Order: sequence, then C-alpha cells, then structure tokens
Amino acid sequence: MTNPESANSKKTLSRRDFLKISGIAGGTLAVLGNLPQGRAAILQALNLSESTEFFEAKPENQIYTVCLQCNTGCGIKVKLYEGIAAKIDGNPYSPWTLWPHISYQTPVKEAATIEGGLCPKGQSGIQSVYDPYRLVSVLKRKPGTKRGEGQWVTISFEQAIDEIVNGGDLFGEGKVEGFKDLYAIKDPDLMKQMGAAVKAIWDEKDPEKKKELVKKFQEDFKDHLDKLIDPEHPDLGPKNNQFAFVWGRMKNGREDLVKRFVGQAFGSLNYNGHTTICQGSLYFTGKQMSSKWNPQTGQFDSGDKFYWQADTGNSEFVIYAGVNLYDANYGPPQRVPKATQASVDGRKFAVIDPRLSKLAARAWKWVPIKPGTDAAFAMGMIRWIFENERYNKNYLAIANQAAAVAAGEPNYSNAAWLVKIKDGKPTTFLRASEIGLVEAQTETNAEGKEVTVYVAKDGTKFSSDVPVILMDGKPFAFDPLDPEAAAAVGEVLVNTQLGEFEVKSSLQILREEAEKHTIAEWAEICGVKADDIILLAHEFTSHGRKAAIDIHRGPSQHTNGFYNNNAYYALNLLIGNFDYAGGTIKLSTYNRLGEKKGQPFPVNSMIEGALSPFGIDILRTKVAYEKTTLFNPEKPYPTKRPWFPIATDIYQEDIPSMGDAYPYQIKIFMHYMNGMAYSLPAAQTVIDILADPKKIPLIIASDIYVGETSTYADYIFPDLSYLERWEFHGSHPSVPWKVENVRQPAISLPNWPTVKVFGEEIPLSFEALLLGIAERLNLAGFGPNGLGQGIPYTRPEDFYLKEVANIAFGEKEDGSDAVPEADDEELRIFREARRFLPPSVFDEKRWKAAVGNDDSLWRRVVYVLNRGGRYQDFAKAYKGDQVANKYGRLINLYHEKTYKAVNTMTGEHMFGCATYIPAGLDYSGQAIKDDGYDLHLITYKTITMTKSRTISNYWLLSVLGEGYVLINSEDARQRGIRHGDLVRLSSASNPEGVWDVKNGRKIPVVGKAYVTEGIRPGVVAFPLGFGHWAAGSSDIFIDGQLVKGDARRAVPLHANVVMRADPVTKNVSLSDLVGGSAVFYDTKVKVEKV
Amino acid sequence: MSEPQEAALLSKVASEVFAGIIAPALENAPHIQAAEHDVLAKEDVLVRMERELKRALQKTPAERRWVMVIDLRRCIGCHACTIACVAENKLPPGVVYRPVLTEELGKYPHVTYRFLPKPCMQCENAPCTPVCPVHATYTNEEGVIVVDYDQCIGCRACISACPYASRTFDFGINYTDKTVDGLPMMLGSSQAGKYETAGAAFEYGERRERKKEESPIGNVRKCHFCLHRIKEGILPACTTTCIGRATFFGDANDPDSLVSELIAKPNVMRLKEDLGTEPRVYYLV
Repeated sequence: MTNPESANSKKTLSRRDFLKISGIAGGTLAVLGNLPQGRAAILQALNLSESTEFFEAKPENQIYTVCLQCNTGCGIKVKLYEGIAAKIDGNPYSPWTLWPHISYQTPVKEAATIEGGLCPKGQSGIQSVYDPYRLVSVLKRKPGTKRGEGQWVTISFEQAIDEIVNGGDLFGEGKVEGFKDLYAIKDPDLMKQMGAAVKAIWDEKDPEKKKELVKKFQEDFKDHLDKLIDPEHPDLGPKNNQFAFVWGRMKNGREDLVKRFVGQAFGSLNYNGHTTICQGSLYFTGKQMSSKWNPQTGQFDSGDKFYWQADTGNSEFVIYAGVNLYDANYGPPQRVPKATQASVDGRKFAVIDPRLSKLAARAWKWVPIKPGTDAAFAMGMIRWIFENERYNKNYLAIANQAAAVAAGEPNYSNAAWLVKIKDGKPTTFLRASEIGLVEAQTETNAEGKEVTVYVAKDGTKFSSDVPVILMDGKPFAFDPLDPEAAAAVGEVLVNTQLGEFEVKSSLQILREEAEKHTIAEWAEICGVKADDIILLAHEFTSHGRKAAIDIHRGPSQHTNGFYNNNAYYALNLLIGNFDYAGGTIKLSTYNRLGEKKGQPFPVNSMIEGALSPFGIDILRTKVAYEKTTLFNPEKPYPTKRPWFPIATDIYQEDIPSMGDAYPYQIKIFMHYMNGMAYSLPAAQTVIDILADPKKIPLIIASDIYVGETSTYADYIFPDLSYLERWEFHGSHPSVPWKVENVRQPAISLPNWPTVKVFGEEIPLSFEALLLGIAERLNLAGFGPNGLGQGIPYTRPEDFYLKEVANIAFGEKEDGSDAVPEADDEELRIFREARRFLPPSVFDEKRWKAAVGNDDSLWRRVVYVLNRGGRYQDFAKAYKGDQVANKYGRLINLYHEKTYKAVNTMTGEHMFGCATYIPAGLDYSGQAIKDDGYDLHLITYKTITMTKSRTISNYWLLSVLGEGYVLINSEDARQRGIRHGDLVRLSSASNPEGVWDVKNGRKIPVVGKAYVTEGIRPGVVAFPLGFGHWAAGSSDIFIDGQLVKGDARRAVPLHANVVMRADPVTKNVSLSDLVGGSAVFYDTKVKVEKV
Repeated sequence: MSEPQEAALLSKVASEVFAGIIAPALENAPHIQAAEHDVLAKEDVLVRMERELKRALQKTPAERRWVMVIDLRRCIGCHACTIACVAENKLPPGVVYRPVLTEELGKYPHVTYRFLPKPCMQCENAPCTPVCPVHATYTNEEGVIVVDYDQCIGCRACISACPYASRTFDFGINYTDKTVDGLPMMLGSSQAGKYETAGAAFEYGERRERKKEESPIGNVRKCHFCLHRIKEGILPACTTTCIGRATFFGDANDPDSLVSELIAKPNVMRLKEDLGTEPRVYYLV
C-alpha cells in the first residue's frame, strides 16, 4: 500500500502477488497427493489465486460447526484460509449468537457476511486446536517408571491396541489383564438369561428366598460361574463390568458411540459422565420433580434428568441465584444480549451470590448471601408469599391433566395432592383405596388377561390406585394423566384427618417448612437483611408469570444442593411460571437417534448380537441397595460407601470406589477428555488412587495432550480437537427453540496421522481407538456389518451421518418435518468449503453412502451441515403467552420417589419436599467443624477460562494471566494482607496447602491476593482454570527427549485440592448424597501471607 | 493425475490470465441488496447494521462517515472484542487495538464494576498524524486513521502523541514462540503457529506473512475499524462478536442508520472532549 486510495481500491493481481502465488504453488505440490484428484486439485489451485484476497467473506471458505471451548455449544462459522482455521465467528443461523437468529431458509451465500456474537473463549478456539503441545502419536508409560512421573515412550497405534487388548507384563510390574480377559460373557443370550435371574433375585423381598435364588443361579449357570466377578454375589455381574469408562466433556454422538461400545458391544454397565461436578443436584432435582405417574402401577416412574432455566429474553424480573450469567452458565453469547437489553429497558433483575459477579454489578439488587443457605433464603420468600397470599392459587389447585386442559394451563402440579403424615413426617401420597374411595376389582381385559381395576362408588374405573385431593370439602379420587378424565381441582392448603390417616396437601407441607422460622430468622441464617427477602419476594410476585428464579452451580454444589434447588423451584411453582414466556422453560432438541416413527436410522437398534449388561454399577446408582445380595439385614447401615438411589453419574465417586474396590475392582479404566485430577474438589484423594497401579491396573486415556488426568494414564491415545470431529451438542434449558447443533470436521491438521481399522484409513482419534479394539475383539455393532447386514460401521461418519440424517428428516412420519434439500449451488459450496479436508476425513461418496445413497436425504443432510445444525424459526418458539416446546405435564412439588429413597449411610428416608438443611455435612450426616479455619472458600469462573482446558489459549491469558484469591478488604486488613501479596490456602483436610502430584513433586496452593469490596466478608474465592501441573505446563520426557513445559501455562492458582475431603470415607470430596453433587462450596480455609 | 500433469495444471491456473477468467465466477459472496424489510419484525442489531453497511458501500468512500458507538450500559467487560480483534488481525503479544478497562467502585456491599472498551477514537482532529515524520499515518477518505506499514519507520512519535493511548508497537514476537517444536510426537509451534504467521491477517486488505524484519514487525499498529472487513461487507470484528450488543458501527452520513440514531441520544458522550480531538467513537452512558 503506497497511497490513500489503495486501502479501498479493487484488488487486482499485482506482479508482487503473482510471484507470491508461484512461490506457494511450489510448496503446495507436495501435499496435493493427499487431495481428491482432479476437481479438488483445480480448486486447490484456484484457491491460491484467492489467497491474496481477504478470505472471510466467501461461503466457500466457511464451515459451520459448534464451539466446545465451554459447554454452551454456540454455533460457529470457521473461516478457512488455505485450510487453516484462521478466524471463528458466530453462526447466524444459531439462536446462541443472534437474537433473533436468521431464518433457517436463508441461503448460505447470503449468510456469508452475517456473523453472530461470540465470547472471547470462542474466538480463541484456534489456540486450543493449534496447540503446539498436542499429541500426534500414541504414548505409553515408559516401563520401569511410575504413573505421573512424566516418562513416556511413543508406540504405534497397532501395537498399543494389541497391548491393551491382550494385556501381559506391560510395564515390568507383572501381568496386567487386557480387554480380552474381561470380555468374559460374549453370548447375548447367556447374558440376558443371567440378567433376568439377577433381577429375580433383586425382586425377591424375603431374605431366605433370596438366598435360595442365589443358589439356584449358581446351579443354573454352573458352567459359567468363572465369568462372574463373584459367584457368591452374582448380582455384581460379569467380569465385563470390570471395564469402566468415564468421560469428562463428552457430547452426544460420541456418547452414543461409547454406550454402544461399552454397553451393547463389550457388555459392561460401567460408563458414566461427570454430571455431579457441574450442577448434578440441579439435574436430579429436575429428575425428581418430573418423576412420572404410572397409570398402570399407581406408582411413580423415573423422571427426566434435566432442569429448567429462566426465559431470559421475555422475563420482566429474574432472580439469578448462584448463576454467573455474564461469565459462564449456558451461556454468555446466548443469554447476555437478553440480559443487557433488560438493563437498558429498565427491567429489574436480582443476583444472589456471595461474590459480586459482573452480572451482580449490573443488578437492581445484589444479595451477598452466606454460602449454602439458599434454601433458607427461599424459605423466607415462600413464607412471605404465603403470609401475603401472593401465590397463584388457581394454578396450584389444578391437580390433573384434565383440569389443566380445561383451564388452558400448559401443565399442573401435585400441590393439592394429599400426603400421608406419620409421626409428623410426610411419607407417601394417600391412595384412594386406603380411605375406601375405590375398591379393587379383578376383571378381564381386552386381551383376555386378568387385571386389577379400582372402581369408585360412582362407577368410575381407574387402572391403578389413584391419588386423592380434597375437592369441595370432600376427598376426591382422580386420574392424574387422562385428559378425558374428570377435572381435579383441589384445595391447596389441607391439614386434616381422613379415616385413619393424618394428611396434608403438598403445598401445606411446603408452607410448614417455610414456617419453621420467621423471616427475620431466615435472614439471620443467610446473613442478609430481612428487607431483602421481602423486597425480592414482592418483586417476584409482581409480574404474573413473567418472573423467574434462575439457578445453577451456586445453590447446587453444596451438601444440601438438592434442597436448595428444590426450594427455588418451589418458588417458581408458586407463581406458576413453568412453560410461560418469561417464566421457566426447558430445552427441546430434534431426535438424532431415529426413535421417532419414519426416521431413517434407528441407530441404537441397528446392531446384531448386542449384549445386555447387568449387575450393580460401580457407582451404585442403578439398583436399590436393599434389593441386592450386598444388603446385610443384620447390620444394614451404614454401607461402606453411599449408594445413590436418585442421582447418577457421580463423578467424584468413580475413583474412590475403584480405590476401595467397592463394590468390586475395576481392572481397566478408560477415560475421555477427563480432567478429574484437576477438576474434582479434594482432588488429592483422586490423584493418590490414580497413581497406584495396584488399585487400578490399567488406565487408558483419550486426550489431546498430556493433561492433569492423562498424566496418570498408562496409554494416551491422541484425539481430534473440536474443530476436527463429529458431535451433537444438544441444547440448554434457557433456549426455547427446538434445535440440534451439529459439530463436524472443519479442518484437518497438517500431517495428522491416519490409522487402519477394518481396512479403512481414518484419522487417529477417539473413534479409531474404539473401532480398533472392536476389530480385535470382534465386538458386535462394529465392522462391515456393524449397523446391520451390509451396513458398515468402519468409519466415524458411518454412524454420525445417520444421526444427522435423522435430524434432517425430522420427527413426522410422513416426512413433512424434513429440512429442504440443498440445491446444486449449496452442494457446490458444501464441497468447495471442504476442499482442504483429506479423503480420510471427507469423501463425498463415502458420506453419501453413509446415508444409504439416497440423493434426496443426502441433500437434506448437506442442508443441515451447511448450517451447522437445525434450528427452529424464531417466531415458532411461542404460542401466545406460553412456549411452544412445553414441559407440559405433572410437576412434583412433593416427590414420593425421593421420600422412598434411603440414604444408605444413615438408613433414613430422604425428605420429599423443599426444605432447609444446613450445608457442610459429612457422609454420615454430621456437621463438620473445622476450628481455626475461618474463611469460607468458593470458586467462580471468568469468561476467559473454562475449567481445565483453556490454559493453552495465550490470547486469553493476555487478558487474565493468572488466578487470584479474592478477599474482602476487611478480611485482608485483619490478616495484614495487601493487594498482590502471595497467600497460601489450607484446610483441615489439606493443612499443608499443597497438591502432591506424586514422585516427589508438590505444588503449593499459593497465589496472589486480590483485595476487593466485591465479595462478602468471611468468604474467599478463586477462579477456575489456572494452576496447571501438566497440559504443557511442565517438563516431560518422551522417548528420552525433553519436552519443555511453558511457564505461561503453569501460572497460579488452583485450590480445589484444599476443598474438604469427607472425614468418614477420607478418600472423596464432600457430596450431596441426595442430588449427587460434588461439593465445591462448603470448605473453611485459612488464608496466610507467605 | 500424474505429478507433471498437476504441475502443468497449476502453472496454468496460477497465471494471471486464467485467474482473470475463472476468479470472477468464484469470487465474492453475493452481496445482499438492501432488501425491503419488515420494520415491525424483531431483528438483531447486528443484522440491521449489516444491512446498513451494504447500503453505505454503494456510496463513494468520501460520502460515508464511519463512526462507532459503545453503550457502556450493555458492556459486561467480557473482552470478546479485545480477543476478536486480536484473532482477526493476528495481533502479536503486546499489540492490542481494543483494550477494555475495568474498574471497581464503591464499598461493600454497595459496589459495582465499570468497563470501558477503548479502540482508536479515529479523531477528526487527530493529534497522532501530524507528528509522523514520514507521513505513514494519515486519515483516509472515509475518515479512518490508517498506518502505511511500508512507510512506517517505527519511530513511535505517534504513540506519544495519542491522548488515548490507542497505538501500540509490534516488537516481532509471537504467541507460540518458545513453545515445543521439532519433536515427531508433538504438533509443535512451526505447524501450530501458522495461524499467526501464514498470512491470514489482511489488515488494509493486504495479505502479509509474518516474517522477521518485514512489516508490520517494527511498525506502530492501531485499530482501523477493520477496513478490510468493511470493504467486503462485514462489520468490524469487535462489533459482531460483542455478546452484550454494546458496540455499534455504521455510516453517520446515513440518517436512517442505527448509529445516526444513537449519536443523537441525550446520554451520548466522547472521551476527553475538552481536547478538541473530535473522536468518531461515541459512548452511551
């Protein structure tokens, strides 16, 4: 550029540019061999002439996919420059990045210059992908060295697969069992029969008869007892169960693959995710509140593992409790514009958080609550709302579907249902037969089977013993589900005697919980002003259904997390805001598994010879303890470790359970994108076990680098990053539109290795690892007939593209819900945008074949891929004042299923309704008193860091280069701590304040103090994401060569390790034994200047 | 295709003549015409500004007046703009065009944070341009202050002259410097660092590979409103990435543009107005 005009002048090819092209052309010849012939070569060549022109505006240089820098799953467009992901921006079709998002029908050409908002992590994704420390070769722990010592050798993929399948003396430490040793039961029929026999044992209530059934089992399967973990306890299941798979950040698609591989193919029931370190108790509060009435049994079936969030964009008032909306949550690009618009419009919101988050700094009211007292705050609000009769009585009275339909309500609750009270405590719902409202009769049904029906005096027949409300002063039996049944509208506050039973309505139980203290007392518990409780309660009940309480990690990650969440959700129920615009909503996604009628590929049933795993899972979540042969009637409680009748995926219990071999030993532990050694509270307990091969003999990791957890593995298989692979990111509860986000390969790294599995060349990847094992063991569900006769599963896309096809087809049997077909122009753009992908990743013929070579379906698949997913039109999310994608059914204010569950550490029933229980209890339910540790530790996220995997993002580190310890100025003054002083954190379970990362290396929990007014006195906080000791932060040796760590990645501080370990079991963090959460916020620490 | 055939093909397509024939067909995503739109329909401001940008591009450069408006009520201090700008322009360590200043105010429990994104103010009366001894920095005809990297001698006089500290210097380091390289089992910096060096930065519409002793290394660098994006009909990187929708960009000479509406609001202000620099960056407070 030499004159002012040139910046705007039309680009022409100058001599200088031309020479540059020629130069590059020479260099590019070498890689042409990897490209599809002919056409691609031309495109490649043409691109060279483009290379001097700005690349971003062209659709041929853009691939739409989904971010994974955190779990929000924002749609992104990756802009490619000579095959490099050179820039990332928001996908305008995605409701995550534009509000409103552009019409799904917009041609991709027109969308090329429109981009949506994206957070700084999303922008920095390039640096996660192009991380110099990414592994490109399989690593094996160097024989003769210890786990975590940082000594590795490279090994070929084939050799590594051989070793993990066959086992042997792999490390000079004696024989290690491989997959083939644990693949004990291969016969699907045998496994099914054994599973049925075990179920019969579990269903038998009489202890003697149970013993007889065990004997019968041993007799019936006497030729196969060697295949069991313990023939004395056949319900531990087969040896197959001694393979466990635990994932960190895994999304659908890959998760579907894991379930297929571990469960259906290998026959182990031990696979779980990390739900409980995120907001587990929130999911499981949702599960209990959504548990489903079963009209056949008259009992409750399991609910959905899900939760609700506020409809941010339409609320007139929101209370964000423990929600860090401007830095994290699900997630900033999607929710922030709605919240900032509310600020500018003068719509209020309040924030309950001990720390002044950026969100709190913009709030109408910041309530700096004492950590762990959320339910007390909610109870104060509930009390005020009852006292002032500001609850939605008409809504709460609606007790069944029929009444909801009649009233035009989208859902209904059991607020009016009557619960039996025993010794002053609520138990189960009263059933109509118990007070003679119905009589059991036997009749023959249409199929000629004898069934029991329950008949009321007026002749009404029910298929089971139904619940009861008080209607017009009289008990009334009703059908909860049938929309044609009599409408049940009950009295909401009932406290009476019916026959021999003392009964209360669910709402009455809630009210009494709230009346346990005065508002002043509740305020005292929370350390807030009573006025603030009243102000929030008043405001919350001043906007009809357009108000909401939005909750997340804050209330959840306490020992009382389940009940904190439950109490806040009870408030939402009091104003009846579920399914209302501006109220509380749930997510909605297109079915990818092909489970809807007419969908082309029902992938989970496309398998021949699938195994049906059975037994007790390592986390003790799939069967009630009392049913199993481990139940000891003489001394039933406490159990060695807790059982979890409600929650699943108890991530913090995985490693300690393996450490204790309770209920049995895990011999092969495979983990994926797993940061447990870094991310779990009280993580020292995890590191101690992971580092010990006697406890877990073989550990296999899938990771993109040598991370904090994979550093303790025996083998690391390099994986593809999020821009190189397939996944389905789903949605989040605050998104009212029906969607599915499709993650797809946008780039391939230069010289990325390929491997051969089933004769196919595919990229070295997580898929290659599983397919490689499947090939050696000849597992069902993989290979040339893996998805049925003649339908191969030999490449990643064989499976994933079928899921895309299901999404493209939609959910109507006649195909009327399908997306349009991509036209020729869109097909051209699709191909050209993928011109840099090698045939091992993108081969149009193979891709098309994966959807059955159906041209129409293929074009619809392309239509979805060209847009990075499928997104419902903006206008379709609402119908009138309600959301279109409704929850739409019974909401349990009182959840009988929770009451029926037993805490196996205390032997007591769990409480079935919102209540306040103090936080900070150990596994036996005792309050922890850590004298001398006087500050309450909490964590938070900054928008620049995801928990464990953004330390490679140097751009982000330029904004915030280390984690500080936030401390209130008053607390700092008392301790003589000044801004920037180095301080050490310690606790009763980690008095030294160190990470012992093994082999003589200890990392002190020391960082700089950040003295601030923005935190409640008595509370200290640190941000997650720093304080790494692996992940490229420290030196390791591979094949004897030093791989020097980068000091920028080793910056302080990470303090999860000082979080309180449970004093009862001593090898796990504190937990919410009801909702399952790992506890991050109930530790008292000492902060000392160093 | 055999290797000689490929070479022949390449030499052919890389010729200027051939590129001239084929490139126009491949070039340019079709620019959306300013289609009629439903004034009542809710629309993201990014989509509206995108449409307005296309409209402005139909005028001659001298007819438009680019301005930026930053609504501090909507800024959440997330630094998406800072990083998007770094990513767009492949800015090296130490070079930042769009910092966001953060400040804590008040005493517990009455505390808040204040955030101030601070790009180049693109002053009408710029103090930075007259001090350049080689006329490498000047106001272009669209009112944007640019730096001619080939002219700039790196004397940094303009850095001192800028009252807003909006200019930085490129010392030639890269983010991936000193990271692992040359080991067969690791990706390594020479492969991984290509996003920084391979020429994906197109400031002022020019492709520049990042090479030692070549511009912009050793130059002063500053915000240029992403002129290279604007030219192609894309809004500046800080504007589209802004998750708070706090940043607005457009043609102040277009009376129907969003920015024209916003700079007429009573709560508008500019930084250091007393200096008489007349910034083209406005703030809503």
